[in-house]
Amino acid sequence: MFTRSDDKITSTQASIFLTDSVLGAGILTMPRAVVVAGETPDVWLSVLLGGLIVMVLIVVMVKLSQQFPEKTVFQYAGIVIGKVPAFILCWLLIIFFITIAGFEVRVLAEVTLFFLLEGTPMWATMIPFIWVSGYLLFGGLNATVRLFQLILPVSLFVLIVSYLLSIRIFEVDNLLPVLGDGLLPVFKGLKATVLIFAGFEVVMFLVAHMQHPEKAIKAMIAGISVPLAIYFFTIIFVIGGMSIDAILRSTWPTIDLLRSFEVAGLFFERLEFPFLVIWMMQLFCNFTCYFFGASLGISQLLRIKFRPVIFAMMPIIYLASVIPQDINDLFALGDIIGWSGIILFCLIPLPLSIIWLIRRKGLRQDA
Amino acid sequence: MRRLSYLIGMMLLCSLLLTGCWSSKEIEERSVYVGMAVDLANKTTAEKQLESQGGGTQVQPLITATIQIVPLKSVGRGQQQAESGSIKKYLNVSETGNSIFEIMRNYSLKRDRAVIGHHLKVFVISTELAEKIELHKLLDFLLRDNDIRPSSMVFLSRGKAMDTLESDEPDEIPAFRIRDMVRNKFRNNKIYKEVILTNLDGYFHAKQSFILQNIAAADTGEIEFTGAGIIKGSTNKWIGDLDQENLSAISWIQGDSSGGLLKTVNDRNSIITYEILSGESKIIPKVDGERLSFHVDIKTEGRLIETWDAEETASKAFFLKEAEQKFEQKLETMLQNLMKKMQTEYKVEVAGFGDRLRITHPKVWKKVKDDWDDIFSRATVSFDISLKITDYGSSTE
Repeated sequence: MFTRSDDKITSTQASIFLTDSVLGAGILTMPRAVVVAGETPDVWLSVLLGGLIVMVLIVVMVKLSQQFPEKTVFQYAGIVIGKVPAFILCWLLIIFFITIAGFEVRVLAEVTLFFLLEGTPMWATMIPFIWVSGYLLFGGLNATVRLFQLILPVSLFVLIVSYLLSIRIFEVDNLLPVLGDGLLPVFKGLKATVLIFAGFEVVMFLVAHMQHPEKAIKAMIAGISVPLAIYFFTIIFVIGGMSIDAILRSTWPTIDLLRSFEVAGLFFERLEFPFLVIWMMQLFCNFTCYFFGASLGISQLLRIKFRPVIFAMMPIIYLASVIPQDINDLFALGDIIGWSGIILFCLIPLPLSIIWLIRRKGLRQDA
Repeated sequence: MRRLSYLIGMMLLCSLLLTGCWSSKEIEERSVYVGMAVDLANKTTAEKQLESQGGGTQVQPLITATIQIVPLKSVGRGQQQAESGSIKKYLNVSETGNSIFEIMRNYSLKRDRAVIGHHLKVFVISTELAEKIELHKLLDFLLRDNDIRPSSMVFLSRGKAMDTLESDEPDEIPAFRIRDMVRNKFRNNKIYKEVILTNLDGYFHAKQSFILQNIAAADTGEIEFTGAGIIKGSTNKWIGDLDQENLSAISWIQGDSSGGLLKTVNDRNSIITYEILSGESKIIPKVDGERLSFHVDIKTEGRLIETWDAEETASKAFFLKEAEQKFEQKLETMLQNLMKKMQTEYKVEVAGFGDRLRITHPKVWKKVKDDWDDIFSRATVSFDISLKITDYGSSTE
């Protein structure tokens, strides 16, 4: 077998890992979250702006990680701010990853039960998911990313085809007027659009696994550009096809867009089924990213082997996924995840970078 | 060895899940309904009989919902085949209650196969009911349900809505007939564009007035598209009808006339008919302080397709000029009739003027949108029609 002893990944693979860690359940509810915040058809601008902001954050994280070759945030945080504070911050990050992982599994289960497998118990859709993901992680990062490489093109293809077929209900008038209320609503929309990129924190351990960490900035920007482009298309097609008024009354706007038309003559008459089935694979990849992140963090922090940690994580993630009692809890959790993503950025890479800069300058003066 | 044991363990675990489809349901054991019609409650004799024996719901009934189930049980195979030509392909069942979902579930008390809504295509509401109950209440279940797709089309019916789901033609499924008739818009602009559940979601949220295609039904099982019913945004109830010619005028204003005709009489009292080949329009809102006005520019090209005038030759330029003028006058009258209905009779705006204003003057729109219907009824609207007959078919003399 081709299991590499060092388990490094190429730049393209790193980009795909980042893409997969951002692109998940968010796409199903994103249009509503963004329209609620902005309340104009201009929110596609907010998506672009939000993406740019996230890119800046990513550059900060990459720069920081590049200072410590071969080391993940769980290892270098201690070097910068000392063992005890680093221990606490890293645990926050791990809990964040576990929460996202649980959230993704739960959204997957909710959507599946509502639209596809009515009557199947929830655990029966979630547990196999967690098992298979755990099995995949046994193969290490390389095997995992190689699966991502296989799935991503397929899921993007199905997504784009579904959107393009929605052209028949697309009305440009729904997207007009551009900037009718000025720029203020666009900035209001920002608070929702930065959140939809939650999960980009994986950068802090991803760079350490790259064969060529010096190319990390390019790879990570490429990796975040794909979800940015996909989110942009999503918001354009969903607003264009449904109008913002209809989006506000819809729980899963992206699916409702696909449910609003039928294509006669094609192999599939209803696009939501192929879309959901394929997107489930995407959710699987997305979930695996966080599973990996959380397991890696615990194994490096507590200095135990990676594989036993994976076993231990399975029930924990399952428990995390059943915490939300109802669909409102779930959406609230989604918001909390978005915000904690931003808070974590302010807590970890930002102070770490500043402290590191100060300390390095200090050292130089001594020398 | 350890790797192998992991693998075997995982595979064994997976085999637990490969025992077949968990929540599969055989489609033969379901009743698929493709059309639904809601009327003001009027209990059928069968329902009255069942009720006297303790069936039905006890609350004051309001709505009778009729669903159209296809295909009917394929009873036996051999012996029925001979007469299958005359057997109806569908079955309409009615049930009365005051919650649509309750009604749907009550079908399970009456029928052996549970009804499923995955294939609902048309939803017909009688105007009698839409006048009494807000539309968003009637449609809430349909919009919320996970089986029913938001691509279902919504119609109104002047008479009993359940009658529109009847047909005398043996092989025809009435719900599909209605759905397919909407596609005839390219032949006749008296058909309104399809309105699906998703559109209604938007209208409800914006509290906007809108129209829905009206269907009339005859006892013989024939139906006809007869203009449109108006749903007032502020009350969400039916307030009146537009006739076929009004609807055609709306298509003209919206630039949605890719087919259809204009018919009028010329000075010699002969019928002349114009076939629309293209119809474009531009609504230009003008805001002057508090005063609102609209200018509609309509450009159309078409063919002189029928003339009963034997004295003149259709190919002559002056004849065509005269015909063009007559058609323009006819169109102008149609448009004015529509404006009168919208502005004075019903005081609603359903032709898309508001949407145009929203795009060109977003700030003004914000101020007026809450009582747009009222404000529009005081706005002045002018029309500019340029109609061109580009050819006269294959006859000249």
